[in-house]
Amino acid sequence: MNLDTAMATRMFALPMIAMALFLLVWCLTGLTALGEFRRARHARGHSIFEPESSVRGLMLLKNWLSPAQLRCYERHGYFEVIGSDSGTTYRIQYGKQANVEQLDNAGRPVCAWCFVPEGDLVAGDVMLAQKIALETNERAAIAIAIKYATLRTRRLTRAGPDLLAS
Amino acid sequence: MAIQIVMDRTGDTRHRFDAGDRAAVEEAKKRFMELTGDGFTAAVRTAPGEQRVIRSFDPAAEETLFYPRLVGG
Repeated sequence: MNLDTAMATRMFALPMIAMALFLLVWCLTGLTALGEFRRARHARGHSIFEPESSVRGLMLLKNWLSPAQLRCYERHGYFEVIGSDSGTTYRIQYGKQANVEQLDNAGRPVCAWCFVPEGDLVAGDVMLAQKIALETNERAAIAIAIKYATLRTRRLTRAGPDLLAS
Repeated sequence: MAIQIVMDRTGDTRHRFDAGDRAAVEEAKKRFMELTGDGFTAAVRTAPGEQRVIRSFDPAAEETLFYPRLVGG
């Protein structure tokens, strides 16, 4: 190997080694950050990627739920409310639209309703507004709601007051 | 300290006031009138998990929640 070849090899090898070292450090840093993310997520009980506004909305919701509703929500991701006018049971699922199911006496879904507060509110706020509306003025809430056959599926009709009886 | 909680895109905005401070109560009442005038519904907690909707300002309410007008989605 002459001097020129040795020099050329060295000039090629050194950047390659530097690049490999950089990639190794970059991968290790990424793995460490991922571990931190996972630990933080479990510690807070919320996704690390969940915006603070969503977390605030859920905290507000939980503060206003009854103990039984809170237990149900923590366990299943939904809670149930009793309509103030008809005594009908509604299941409010986590979500921002078409997330309210009307249940029959056996607890089976009959249909779904969509009514939300104006503005682009977070899910916790939407669910709390739905709870208060159904528990304090069910008739007015259902009157403006849109009825769906089942949760998040085909839209049926805009509700009228007579639908409360259905 | 009493509190008025207004739902918004940040989750909520909270306004605390001293129920014994006449000026603060007046400000809270003004906020109540403005929000309900804009279509917000005001509710106060009566027991854990229970609430009632109020149509006029209640200076004795410890926690009043405001949510925007409901619309079909």
